[in-house]
Amino acid sequence: MQRYNITSPIVSLLPALAFLPCFGLMIAGFHWGGLEIIGLFISSSIQPSLDKAVIGSAFAGMKITIYIAFLSWIISSSIGIIFGIASSSITLEVFKSPKWFIKFIRIVLAIPRSIHEILWGLILLQFLGLSSWVAILAIVIPYSSLIARVISNQLDTLDPSSITSLIRAGVNPLSTLITGILPKTIPILKTYLGYRLECALRGATLLGVFGLGGIGTELQLTMRSLQFREMWTSLWILIISIMILEQITKKIRNWPPSKSKKNVIIQISLIFLISALMTQSAFKALDINLLTPINFYSVPIPKASEWIQATQELNLPKLIVETLILTFLASGIAIGIPPLMIMLYPKQSWIKIQIIVWTFFRIIPPPLWALLFLLCTTPSIGLAALSLGIHHLGVMGKLLKEKLEMQERDKFIAIKSIGADLRPSWLYGTFSAVSPSYLAYAAYRTDVLLRETAVVGIVGGSGLGWELIESISSFNWSKISILILVYSCITIIGEFLSDYCRNQLIFKKI
Amino acid sequence: MKISYLIKNITSLLVIFTIPGFITLSANSKADRVLRVGAIPDQNPEKLNRLYSLLSSKLSTKLNVPVKYIPVTNYSAAVSAFRTGDLDLVWFGGLTGVQARLQKPGAKVLAQRDIDTKFYSIFIINTKSGLKPINDIAGLKSLKGRRFTFGSESSTSGRLMPQYFLEKSGVNIKDFKGSLAGFSGSHDATIALVQSGSYEAGALNGQVWESNLKDGRVNKSKVKVMWKTPTYFDYHWLAQPNLDIKYGNGFTNKLRDSLIKLDRKTDKDKAILELFGANKFVPANANQYKSIEEIGRKIGKIK
Repeated sequence: MQRYNITSPIVSLLPALAFLPCFGLMIAGFHWGGLEIIGLFISSSIQPSLDKAVIGSAFAGMKITIYIAFLSWIISSSIGIIFGIASSSITLEVFKSPKWFIKFIRIVLAIPRSIHEILWGLILLQFLGLSSWVAILAIVIPYSSLIARVISNQLDTLDPSSITSLIRAGVNPLSTLITGILPKTIPILKTYLGYRLECALRGATLLGVFGLGGIGTELQLTMRSLQFREMWTSLWILIISIMILEQITKKIRNWPPSKSKKNVIIQISLIFLISALMTQSAFKALDINLLTPINFYSVPIPKASEWIQATQELNLPKLIVETLILTFLASGIAIGIPPLMIMLYPKQSWIKIQIIVWTFFRIIPPPLWALLFLLCTTPSIGLAALSLGIHHLGVMGKLLKEKLEMQERDKFIAIKSIGADLRPSWLYGTFSAVSPSYLAYAAYRTDVLLRETAVVGIVGGSGLGWELIESISSFNWSKISILILVYSCITIIGEFLSDYCRNQLIFKKI
Repeated sequence: MKISYLIKNITSLLVIFTIPGFITLSANSKADRVLRVGAIPDQNPEKLNRLYSLLSSKLSTKLNVPVKYIPVTNYSAAVSAFRTGDLDLVWFGGLTGVQARLQKPGAKVLAQRDIDTKFYSIFIINTKSGLKPINDIAGLKSLKGRRFTFGSESSTSGRLMPQYFLEKSGVNIKDFKGSLAGFSGSHDATIALVQSGSYEAGALNGQVWESNLKDGRVNKSKVKVMWKTPTYFDYHWLAQPNLDIKYGNGFTNKLRDSLIKLDRKTDKDKAILELFGANKFVPANANQYKSIEEIGRKIGKIK
């Protein structure tokens, strides 16, 4: 009696099925009416505006975005590392904390990341006014808690025996922490934090799209006024910046290159010197003065009756269902398409083309994708899902590429030499080894997508995200608070589910 | 020992390079006398930057205070920034201006463009949609069951007033195809999306429509006017209530005067007025926006 086995490489491809309904909806509504404008958009890519004022303002915008990304990355990494170590079960074991404490800490830490950075930005703006801190804090708050989660999850997969032996030997908890746990976080940090810097850059760009300054603002204004040549000036600057950043993070991952202790010290000093200088110029450019306190402006707290009325006005079950469908479709596209695209023709040349396509995909923020798609098809939930999915497809593709690069080709060659076709050998030879970790990561992405539905809700005019943006623009505090609460709750539930799935994948499949 | 050496190194470097930075930063803390001007965004950045650097230098010489243009690119952000006092003078739309005044009692309506006293919205239709131009409001009923888009969710001419006229004629958002309306995000995008056929009809700012027609950016074989709405009051300059205290007695009036006295006969003023799409600025007052406030409450954009 043989049971048909669904292996994880196949499972990773299945989500791509979500593309079909979305694509179907897009085809059903397809028309040639926007061809002229799409053509203009494409032809503008090779002739961006070279007007001095346009380039100048795009550069100024890029500088602000980089500084916001950099500062928020430094702050969120530091906070995230501390909380990540503090909330890992290994640390709690070292300090002999009770079990309920770890659960409590983890739930508390789940709250900041259950709200998307855009929403944090729009909310903080209400309380802090036009301060550069708004954009920085909007990224720092959710990112710290995201980093903490990844670090504590990774620490928990480590073998605890070396730590327990240290404790048994009578080493005090603090020394155990420094000598036993901290060094173990370094390899995790090297890959993960570099990636976080890129996320911060994308986050800062998106914040700009929602009006918080920087290159995103330039993109949004030029796109809205359909000045494509000016828009491409900003886009090219953004693309080049991201490429440079990728080279830097690659360097960090392979660091340290030399074994000599003296060189390491010089390099560490150099890194600190550069970061210190960056921080200083960032403060200057963003007009941040650490000695001036941040002003706090309160907003009216709604009465109980207003909350009840707001709940009645909002059709919450419908909004939640719409949001979940959008998340489901968008994650399917983002997770399933990259491996599928490589499998079509697993040769280096094709993969290289894909990498360029993916870079392009993730550089354009979802709201801009949505407007582009809208020019050639009628509005639908499929369009919203595709706009969101295609941006994150770019992110997942990059991740897949990195994972594949770390794989050895032996298995692929072995399977191929038995006479298997190119595609199955790639699927079972190369991809099967990375698919569990790819899927584990995909579970994180799904959470991100659920939060990010807020930014494209506006396209379909549906879901919690759209309702929230509408309430913010109406300054309806009772609705805003209810919607944020609901958003938070479903994201936290979603996170627990994806944690469960990931544990199943990591611990049972291998 | 090596670790302690390393830590020493790092700390000293950090101290050396960051502390002076903070000190210089705190030393050049900016003067509080700067007049901060903001505007809700509805033009491309290149034009906005040109517009506001011209206006800032003009106001600065007239009023003898430094003027700084602070870009705010989101309607509700502009309202919030006015509430928190981060902006002293803001170019608001009808609805956002009312929202801002309700959140900042005492704020003063200074001036509006000549065209803002009789502003209107335009309903446009795709020529292939089969929709027909109409003569009176009742004709809007033909939009039932169609794909319809507004502009930005906080726009007076791209959303509030069109929705008001639609509801007056008996068309609710739920009556559109898919039981919802689109929000293109801007007036230019509304034209593009209706012209492409993604939406069969839409509503936008009359002034933007006219200027797009004039610049030849509208393909007349694909999109045409369905209806021009009755007029209403729209954009205006709104000032903080405390400007006289901050910059000296009579400052608010001087500010209003310098706006109103912009004259097409001088080249610099002409450039400013042209970028605003106005012949001149005229005095305005809060009463003119009473009906916008009522409509805002009815539609739920004002609590």
